[in-house]
Amino acid sequence: MKRNTPLLLCFLLSLILSPAWGQEVAQKVTKEKLTLYNSVMCEDVQDREPFNPTVVFPISRGKAYCYTLFEPVPVKTYIYHNWYRRDVLSFTIRLQVQPPSWATYSNIQLRESDRGPWRVEITDAEGNTFQTLRFSVTE
Amino acid sequence: MNSFWEFLSGIRWQDFVDILLNSYIIFRLYVLLRGTTILYMLMGVALLWFFQRIAVSLGLIVTSWLSQGLTAVAALIVVIIFGGEIRAAFRGKGLKAVFWGFPKHNPPSSVEVIADAVFDMAQKHTGSLIVFPGKKSLKGVVQNGIIWNGEVSKEMIISIFWHNNPVHDGAAILDGNQITEVGTILPLSQRMDLPKYYGTRHRAAIGLSESSDALVVATSEERGVVIAAKEGEVKVMHKRSDLANRLREHLGISVNRPHFWAKERLLLTAAGVLSVLLVTGVWFSLTRGWNSLLITMETPIEYTNRDSRLEILSTSANTVRLHLSGSYILLKSLRPDQVRVQLNLEPAKPGQNVFSITRNQVSVPPGIILSKVEPSTVEMEIDVSITRTLPIQVDWEGELAPDLLITDVKLSPQTIKVVGSSRELENISTIYTQKIPLEKLDNSGTRSVPLALNRQLSLSPEASRQVTVSYKVETRK
Repeated sequence: MKRNTPLLLCFLLSLILSPAWGQEVAQKVTKEKLTLYNSVMCEDVQDREPFNPTVVFPISRGKAYCYTLFEPVPVKTYIYHNWYRRDVLSFTIRLQVQPPSWATYSNIQLRESDRGPWRVEITDAEGNTFQTLRFSVTE
Repeated sequence: MNSFWEFLSGIRWQDFVDILLNSYIIFRLYVLLRGTTILYMLMGVALLWFFQRIAVSLGLIVTSWLSQGLTAVAALIVVIIFGGEIRAAFRGKGLKAVFWGFPKHNPPSSVEVIADAVFDMAQKHTGSLIVFPGKKSLKGVVQNGIIWNGEVSKEMIISIFWHNNPVHDGAAILDGNQITEVGTILPLSQRMDLPKYYGTRHRAAIGLSESSDALVVATSEERGVVIAAKEGEVKVMHKRSDLANRLREHLGISVNRPHFWAKERLLLTAAGVLSVLLVTGVWFSLTRGWNSLLITMETPIEYTNRDSRLEILSTSANTVRLHLSGSYILLKSLRPDQVRVQLNLEPAKPGQNVFSITRNQVSVPPGIILSKVEPSTVEMEIDVSITRTLPIQVDWEGELAPDLLITDVKLSPQTIKVVGSSRELENISTIYTQKIPLEKLDNSGTRSVPLALNRQLSLSPEASRQVTVSYKVETRK
């Protein structure tokens, strides 16, 4: 058995380094799709978890958060949080996501002039929409 | 010269119909009222009106004002005083007689019969009083007549004046070949120069002849003499032929009948031509009067034949200014609703369109001429109406209790179909509900809320204006 050990190691090494095996792994990676696992509007994000999910944000609370969790994340890429107030794009935030899963968020500071209905469109780098979250900013 | 052709080209076929129709009405009035006093009165009123028009055109202020008043008063007087005569002219006439037929002014073929009857009665000393009306009506002059309407015959005349007949004391009225009334009371003459042997019958004959253009024939009981009275003058008729000639003369009967009809035709033709000339003059005076005006009128544009899929986004003008000319009378009485500008949108396409406003698109009452349209073109931005399905979002307002959170909202339906112009819908990606107050929310629940749509949008026919909102209320951590 001891005599065969170097041969076995050589076989395994050659298998790992062989082009066929590398191609298979790459195919597995590209077959996986960036997926939005969870998204929610919340009052805060604590320990990478949404805190007090809600659809109504009083200005007095100060901030509104858009929390997103992607799983799986095949490759390092960027996603976008597009914040609209009454169908008018207010701003866009670019966020990086990395394999294998990634939680990220964006937030806005609430002001008096922000009152009204809002939505956040979560899109990929190509502009494909994963999800639209709707909420209101109130007194 | 150009203005003359413009003037002529402005006349439409309806104007010819207008003139001919009214000419015929005037002609028919003449035919029906011929020989009556009312016709002369109406001609007087028409003359007054014509005089007033001339006074107006010459700028004679007081004269025109006075003649206008006189015309109105005269027209009123004619209707009030001659109402009976107007009724008499139309009484007993069917529609055909009013609109088409000609009253027959037949010469009585029984002149000799009448003369025979009168002289027979004179021979027998039978008193009689026979009236032959002239052109003027006897209404109001004679009284208490009994309608008879019997064909003239010698026996009939003699029997009317037979001394035992209850109506023998009054006068008989003969019109054409008919005895129209009997037992009629005639006005007595007040003349002092009449012979003493003239009795009441003679005085009545003279009295009526004084106050009308009628010929009155009387026979006396005492002396058996025949007299004929006209215009207050009395002539003794010695022979039957004398009386027959007198009657023919009064009734305008010519021995030569064809000559009579030729004269009648000439008279009616002249009346017809005069009617046409009169109405043409009035028509030109009203529609192309000397005192014509030029006015401008702001008129809204009406759009017709619009494709229901097309939406008008904007127009360069919603009204146009029309320059109208015509006679003072027509323009003075012109109402805004009589003038219309209709723009045909059939050739309209999505995008920028330019439409010309031509004379064909402007309708004005007859007699009013459109001189100019400002602006002559209208620019219009048109878009296609489309249907889109849009998501619905709740529009919360007010203040939620500090310890509460709305953690979830579900809508039914979640989307809705709306219809609007493609440009309008391009900028809209959400339909909001009307505002929902937060103050009274303390528990999870459901409520029905109407949608808030702007004026440019409408819901598709199958869509409901209400949406059901289910919300979940939780306590804040």
